[in-house]
Amino acid sequence: MTRKLALTLAGVAVLAAIPLFVQNSFLLHVCILVLMWTVLGAAWNVLGGFAGQVSFGHAALFAVGAYTTVILFLKGGLAPWWGIPLGGLAAALVSVPIGFLCFRLRGPYFALATLAVAEIVKLVALNWESVTAGSVGYLITTLPPVRLFGLEVNWEKKLPFYAAAAALAIVALLTTGWLRNSRLGAYLVAIRENEDAAEAVGIDTVRAKVVTLALSAFLAGMGGGFYAFYFRYVDPDAVAGIGLSMEMVFIAVVGGLGTVGGPLIGAVFLTAVAELVRDRFQMGHLIFYGLFMMLVIRFMPEGIWGRVRRLTAGLKAGA
Amino acid sequence: MMRRVMSQALAAMGVLVSTSMLAQPIRIGAPQPVTGPDAPFGDKFKKAYGMALEEINAAGGINGRKLEIVIEDHQAKNQLAATVAEKLITEGKVLAMTGGRASGQAMEIASVCQRLKTPYLVDHPSADMITAKGFEWVFRNNPTGSIYPMAFSDFITNFPGAMPKSAAVVYDNTLFGKTIGGAVIKILKAKNVPVVADEAYPVNTLDFKPTMTKVKGTNPDYLLLVAVAPTDAVLLTRHAREMGLSPRAFVGFGGGFGIADFTNQLGPLAENVFSSAAWSGNPNDPKTKTFYEKFHAKYDIWPHEHEVEGYSAIYILADAIRRAKLTGDLDADRDAIRKALLATDMITVFGKVKFGNWAGPLGDAYTNQNVYSPEQTVMAQWRGGQLLNVWPKAFAETTLVFPEPVKK
Amino acid sequence: MDTFAQSLVSGVLTGALYAMIGIGLTVVFGVMRIINLAHGEMVMLGMFGAFWGQRLWKLDPFVSILVWTPLMFLFGMLVYRFLLKKIIPGGELNTLLYTAGLSLLIANLALFAWSGDYRTISLSYGITPVRPLGIAISVPLAIAFVLAILVTLALWLFLSRTNLGRAIRATSQSAEAAVLMGIDVERVAMVTFGLGTALAGAAGILLAPSLYLYPTVGELLIVKCFVVVVLGGLGSVPGAIAGGILLGVVESLGAVYVSSTYKDGIGFVLFLAVLLYRPSGLFGAGK
Repeated sequence: MTRKLALTLAGVAVLAAIPLFVQNSFLLHVCILVLMWTVLGAAWNVLGGFAGQVSFGHAALFAVGAYTTVILFLKGGLAPWWGIPLGGLAAALVSVPIGFLCFRLRGPYFALATLAVAEIVKLVALNWESVTAGSVGYLITTLPPVRLFGLEVNWEKKLPFYAAAAALAIVALLTTGWLRNSRLGAYLVAIRENEDAAEAVGIDTVRAKVVTLALSAFLAGMGGGFYAFYFRYVDPDAVAGIGLSMEMVFIAVVGGLGTVGGPLIGAVFLTAVAELVRDRFQMGHLIFYGLFMMLVIRFMPEGIWGRVRRLTAGLKAGA
Repeated sequence: MMRRVMSQALAAMGVLVSTSMLAQPIRIGAPQPVTGPDAPFGDKFKKAYGMALEEINAAGGINGRKLEIVIEDHQAKNQLAATVAEKLITEGKVLAMTGGRASGQAMEIASVCQRLKTPYLVDHPSADMITAKGFEWVFRNNPTGSIYPMAFSDFITNFPGAMPKSAAVVYDNTLFGKTIGGAVIKILKAKNVPVVADEAYPVNTLDFKPTMTKVKGTNPDYLLLVAVAPTDAVLLTRHAREMGLSPRAFVGFGGGFGIADFTNQLGPLAENVFSSAAWSGNPNDPKTKTFYEKFHAKYDIWPHEHEVEGYSAIYILADAIRRAKLTGDLDADRDAIRKALLATDMITVFGKVKFGNWAGPLGDAYTNQNVYSPEQTVMAQWRGGQLLNVWPKAFAETTLVFPEPVKK
Repeated sequence: MDTFAQSLVSGVLTGALYAMIGIGLTVVFGVMRIINLAHGEMVMLGMFGAFWGQRLWKLDPFVSILVWTPLMFLFGMLVYRFLLKKIIPGGELNTLLYTAGLSLLIANLALFAWSGDYRTISLSYGITPVRPLGIAISVPLAIAFVLAILVTLALWLFLSRTNLGRAIRATSQSAEAAVLMGIDVERVAMVTFGLGTALAGAAGILLAPSLYLYPTVGELLIVKCFVVVVLGGLGSVPGAIAGGILLGVVESLGAVYVSSTYKDGIGFVLFLAVLLYRPSGLFGAGK
């Protein structure tokens, strides 16, 4: 049993065990939030950590996923468990032309372009009322009745949503793990280190980046679909704001860029900080997000998880 | 003898049980923006709830039990509003909810309350759809966005010479702006008033001069401005004046046109601007007046729509809770309060309250919306730095100035 | 024709202020090749400086600019020396992310300290506009425009006539060559960042009477700033000026002749188009 497989199974076991021990509805809600942010952090990490392309516009992909899922359900009657992956797919499709267009730009220029694209998507969401219902948004009032293992699923409880979030998080992290060990992953490392050299060696850098963006978009879109499914209300401010884009960046960076576990650690850490700060200190949690971002980049650019892995690798080597 | 002992024991136990319940405070949850850009509004509600709370507890609480209001911060984010609503209901075990402040957050709270079967009394958020989704657990005291312009409609119909010859409507592209802009345009069209400009602007626009230049070109008889953000309200008015617009009337719709900041920032530019919908109770009612003075004495600011709405909401909930037979079982108690709210029929400083199902001006089918809402809109006017109600006459504090005197 | 003239003039005046915001960012980019995401917050700090100056010491903003600009210069140098200096060797993207964190920190600290209340600066002479040739011009905006020109002129004199200015321009052209010529590039970087911050602060002070202030206004302004700087070519000061005025005019005419709703959208599309197809700016002046 390889270490990775063991870790994965252990992780899944822990995830499955949590709802058995945590009966408290609010705590489960927080767990669901952590899992959702893990998916989003992983999505950003795929592009930002592995491919080294900083995007400030990931909220746009999240929004496409959210709107697709909610529109397919409310207008097309398609249940969210189909809608969420379709939302991911829609986001991936939308990301392809964006990628082809924007990847001519390097580094900070690409980041700026993503900012503009996100703002344009938000404007579209706000004004294309026939499709997105503009600022009125979409509200899901009832979820479809469904039976699983002979039992009627109770949408008033947290368990079904927890299961969905956990499944998505597992998919996101496994995808990241697959990416890291795949040929595409190797190409991305080359691109990240020196894009021109990678080109010179014959790597189709544009194609590699576009595929990576599509993957990242797929995950972000599914995150958006889940948001629509769980929070039930989608409006442009909630799903397409720049604040959302920035939070995804923070989770990935603080957690550990280019690692598989980073987004999970980042999500746990930042959600904990946010709840604590909001509850005890009545302060905006964003002060701390900014502060931690700065501290991490200054002292721990590999992120919390990256640092942990370095330390444990050192321990193993020392032992 | 045995029977007497038994019955005395039972009575003692009964007293013990009910006193232990009596000892427990009645908790109401209120998500509000405590930090973040909307914090100033959250603060208004905090003050308003605080005053109502003090008064009610000083008068003995509700059926002997103390009232407690738990405010949680949602930072004007929909997602957080859902989170804190859940927290208040499942952890905080509140009996009822109020608050929300902005419509996006209120929508989430309403959705959560409907699913978790907890009564939610909307005190300020105005999006029609909050009470138009058939949620039987959601009640609203304040008027909806589409009801807001009704005083304006009444004014142009009934004040001699007030019917606009043409109108320019400028509104923001949020839910609030679009609802009210849409309602106003509908009213105008129904009265055959040509709408010569229909301009939607993005919230927090830095510069309205181009828009005002365009509007000036259409030479409107009335200039109707809708702004959800107070800054937009101020800038719209300032730039309109700067560009030399001189309609017979400036009418502002939206909270920003009715707060002290408006006159503080604009000074003489605010003079004679109408503010529609900043209903804050009937100032000619002695009870309301007493409330204003008491609030001002306590907090050193004059209450306007937010404060009056928040204060009244607590009283409405208190009244319903008083009538509900509480047993200590959370689910049953919440349902009892819901039933009590259905039977509400009272007067607060905000006005009359009775919840019912009826159709709104734009056709929305309301559930549990205050049936007296259409009466609770008013046109006020800025005069000498003070906002005074001017229409309908029953609520007027002074005579109105119309048309706007032409400046030389 | 009236409408056209009015909207053109409004656009130019507003555009000049956009340009002021952009000049600071572009100067920093030119020398240090970093895009400072916290630039919008520097402008916000300038705006609040003007506000508190008036509120606490009854200083007219156009007077307090003399006080705040040197202070912002110092602040910028300190930020560079103690925060940014160690980050820059980590690469462009790290620096970008770091300034993103800094931006969030400053904006939210301000929010915590000063609350989210919107504030405006009321000037007695700001109420009635002047109307030369029938075109309405707000007095504070006109004064800001003139001062912006003066500041830009002073900047130009500094960059072209003083040794330090020449050192900055040399480093901007080629850091390696500058080092070879014996220029203390580190010192130049520190001064440049201070300069960029001072310019941002000054822009904020000039803007404040015509706009409203709140701690998170930087979010809005930084986006406009990027558009301006990209249009003009990253690193070019004249480019930023032209870009600013162009954006102001496009937005103004766009709002009048196309629609208010999409006015911002026009800017973004233009921005994307320039980034993609003419990355050295509309005038080819960028780096």
